[in-house]
Amino acid sequence: MPNEKQLSEKESLQLITDMIQKVKNSYHDKGVGPLLWGTVVAIASFVSFLQLQYNFSLPFDIWWIVMGAIIPQIILINQDSKTQKIKRHEDSALNAVWLVYALTIFGLSFFQSVVPNAAEQMMQLNGWQIVKHEINNSKPDEVIKPFTPSFYSMYILIYGFPTLVTGIVKKFWPMIIGAIIAYVLFMISCFTETKYDFLLGAIAAIACWFIPGIILQVKYQKQKRTNV
Amino acid sequence: MFKELDPILHSQLRLAVMSLLISVKEADFTFIKEKTNSTAGNLSVQVQKLKDVGYIEVLKQFKDNYPHTTCKITPIGIGAFENYVKALQEYLKV
Repeated sequence: MPNEKQLSEKESLQLITDMIQKVKNSYHDKGVGPLLWGTVVAIASFVSFLQLQYNFSLPFDIWWIVMGAIIPQIILINQDSKTQKIKRHEDSALNAVWLVYALTIFGLSFFQSVVPNAAEQMMQLNGWQIVKHEINNSKPDEVIKPFTPSFYSMYILIYGFPTLVTGIVKKFWPMIIGAIIAYVLFMISCFTETKYDFLLGAIAAIACWFIPGIILQVKYQKQKRTNV
Repeated sequence: MFKELDPILHSQLRLAVMSLLISVKEADFTFIKEKTNSTAGNLSVQVQKLKDVGYIEVLKQFKDNYPHTTCKITPIGIGAFENYVKALQEYLKV
């Protein structure tokens, strides 16, 4: 491009349009993050469903694979920041949304692990306890720990939030549709047993992240081939 | 009466640089060079001119032991670019 070439008004407007278009075409999300999270959350949810359905338990908590996925995610973010040649305006806002999402999920897990024991202690201090009583008296009464029924529904609800924001900001329809599916599944899960909530959670993870991740990866590979 | 077009922006390479930077938060020098099909020397001169009038910020740092230059449009640059586009639209009656 010659440095000081004077342009006509029409050429100037065309140049502005071309450059904006070039920026638009140069940025392609590989979809690795959504693929990774979609896979681990879907597997963990589906295995949790199988454990409840077929009464077996693994020697470890399957949800540790979700925690384990944080390591490759950090590596990916680090690699991306090294190779990224442009920063978009929406990048920092979306990063903040996903950070808030991660903190919310962590908060919910903390709530789930702490509140039942704390509630049990408070009940004992007040001199009462929760007893499971079979209506038809088929089994003797059993003291149980306090629990929140259908708690996994809350996770399904939260899966939809960052997905919808990302979909709207990036005008990426697969994520918008995925989030809408998650909200519908959340409503269904309010009426289903806990084990089916896990199954619905697996479907939500596939709709919110796995499928959009595959679409992004296909688009990226297509763009890569075009550029070669 | 038509507005006079900003002489700083009414040049092919400088306008190309500003058009790239208007749609991103910041961009690498190498990215701008690649997208504008310019040479490093030529681009450096034009980037310096844009920096001198306060239209862009240039951040020079080291990344993995290599010099790394990042360019970012300033609020003054955004205003100048918007005025330039408005003036163009008046000329072209679009």
